[in-house]
Amino acid sequence: MKRILVIDDAATVRLYHREILENAGFDVSEAINGLEALEKIEEATFDLYLVDINMPKLDGYGFLRALRQRPIPQAPAIMISTESSANDRQAALVAGANLYILKPIKPEQLLPHVRGLLGEWQQP
Amino acid sequence: MIVMSNQAGISDEDFQKFREFFYRKTGMLFEQSKRYFVDKRVLERMIATDNPTFRSYFAMLRFQASGAELQTLINLMTVNETYFFREEYQFRCLVDSMLAEIVARRTSTEPIRIWSVPSSSGEEPYGIAIYLLEHWPPLKQWDVEIISSDIDTQILHRAKQGLYSERAVQHVPEPLLKKYFRHVGTQYQIRQTLREAVEFTQVNVTESADMRSHRHFDVIFCRNLLIYFDDLSRKTTAESFYDALNPGGFICLGHSEAMSRISPLFQIRRFPNAIVYQKPLEAR
Amino acid sequence: MALKKGKPTPSSDVPGERQQARDRDGLLQALQADDAMTRRWAARDLAAHSEAAAALVGQLRRECENSVRQVILTSLTQIGNDTAIQGLIDCLYLEDAMLRNAAIEVLKELPDQVAPFMGKLLQDPDPDVRIFAVDVLESLRHPHVEEWLIEVISQDPHVNVCATAVDLLGEVGSEQAKAALISLKQRFADEPYIQFASDLALKRIEAE
Repeated sequence: MKRILVIDDAATVRLYHREILENAGFDVSEAINGLEALEKIEEATFDLYLVDINMPKLDGYGFLRALRQRPIPQAPAIMISTESSANDRQAALVAGANLYILKPIKPEQLLPHVRGLLGEWQQP
Repeated sequence: MIVMSNQAGISDEDFQKFREFFYRKTGMLFEQSKRYFVDKRVLERMIATDNPTFRSYFAMLRFQASGAELQTLINLMTVNETYFFREEYQFRCLVDSMLAEIVARRTSTEPIRIWSVPSSSGEEPYGIAIYLLEHWPPLKQWDVEIISSDIDTQILHRAKQGLYSERAVQHVPEPLLKKYFRHVGTQYQIRQTLREAVEFTQVNVTESADMRSHRHFDVIFCRNLLIYFDDLSRKTTAESFYDALNPGGFICLGHSEAMSRISPLFQIRRFPNAIVYQKPLEAR
Repeated sequence: MALKKGKPTPSSDVPGERQQARDRDGLLQALQADDAMTRRWAARDLAAHSEAAAALVGQLRRECENSVRQVILTSLTQIGNDTAIQGLIDCLYLEDAMLRNAAIEVLKELPDQVAPFMGKLLQDPDPDVRIFAVDVLESLRHPHVEEWLIEVISQDPHVNVCATAVDLLGEVGSEQAKAALISLKQRFADEPYIQFASDLALKRIEAE
């Protein structure tokens, strides 16, 4: 079963993503901010990351930059944002996101992205 | 108590709400299996604070300006007992992993400095000392300084005395008990040579002036202290620890404490025995 | 070689590159030093000088070393006067996401001081600033929090601002939020997230 780490500071958002992803047959773990996510990746391996941008302590950019420098098997990351400026999209991709999508998330939009990224992912 | 719990139950929805809130505030996440443990303590506090419903108690917990009730509840949820070799896996990690790294990048023979704070009645700093003597052979080539601090002068006095009940030493193996302690009546006292090897100082970790006189450490043990602080004092203290550590130095927190709720300044390091936090080597 | 009794750091051992007077003017000067550790110690000790808030905000916006930024933010939280609050609110409009998030975090620590600014922030023309404002509400121990949230989900035209507010109502909502939650569901009938979060909040309110 593919493992997905959902990183968002809002409990409701984590629960929402968990339901969508678990119903689609994925195994889901959660982290409340970028720092906790960095702790989680020390303990387990994930196949995909779903990352919010704005979080306390360490935001989505900070998490992705740190993740991409880790000497661990890498996995694709989807950055989720409420912001729509081209700047943010660019910054997310530079930080190491593979895809940038805007809130609010619809299941029928999220799942094809998740399956698509998991399917085409190759270890860099 | 029985009458109360009939009237004021904690529903599944209440539990979920409480669990998310507590997780956000402390980093402690209660699994469903801990439900009994959590409910019992919450109900206890509801009675103590005269809140007939969970709803009113939760409002108090969340909106009380002083945060005192949240603190009381945290204290209840974290069973805090001091005894020798508590959370021993971190001492293991010290001798097996952290010290090796510290020694490997040393360019001088300056002493290695370890800070244990709070000292409490001394179980931790003496425990570290015993661990080093027993399990770290390079001690023959290196000087190690152990400093231990507490805000409470009375407890510092007790720490210097080094007198312990049978209960406090229950996890100390018999040969070590013989080697490092002597029997005093029904108690055990740390032998004098060991007592003389640890320096005790009074420190308020949220005071900048106190912290300025405690620096150049390679390892800091600060276990089960920050959990009792409010967010701001926790962050202030973590930032002072950053300046108390040498670049590449390590900090060990208690098992229910997470740096991910405190400060982004440190890097996470996973060693075989423990996860600890590190001041970046390239830190300025 | 063995265990040795350690000593505290002597006062002649000064953190940073050089000795600087530790009065306000000396600290303000040290805040501009080249050495990051000197700037950290200056920022830390300036927490005792509330009139240094403006200088700390100024340095925060220039500062490129994260460890110094963090200490400046902590000191601004400790000072917590109007200058500090306004300086942090100004950071919400910056492009620098890290600074924005840090400012939100500090504002969350200062509920009483932020409350007077809240009405204006929740009306800001920029939806992102309104989202940040709702984020700050999360930690506000203030009797108006639920009212503010109800107003947001009843009136704010932006779906993501409402979404952030509903998250929070799941935790603080009571009977009086029910009608607003139900009409929010109708207003954003084709947004599954709004449906999910409102239903969760309603379920929790009804379980009381």
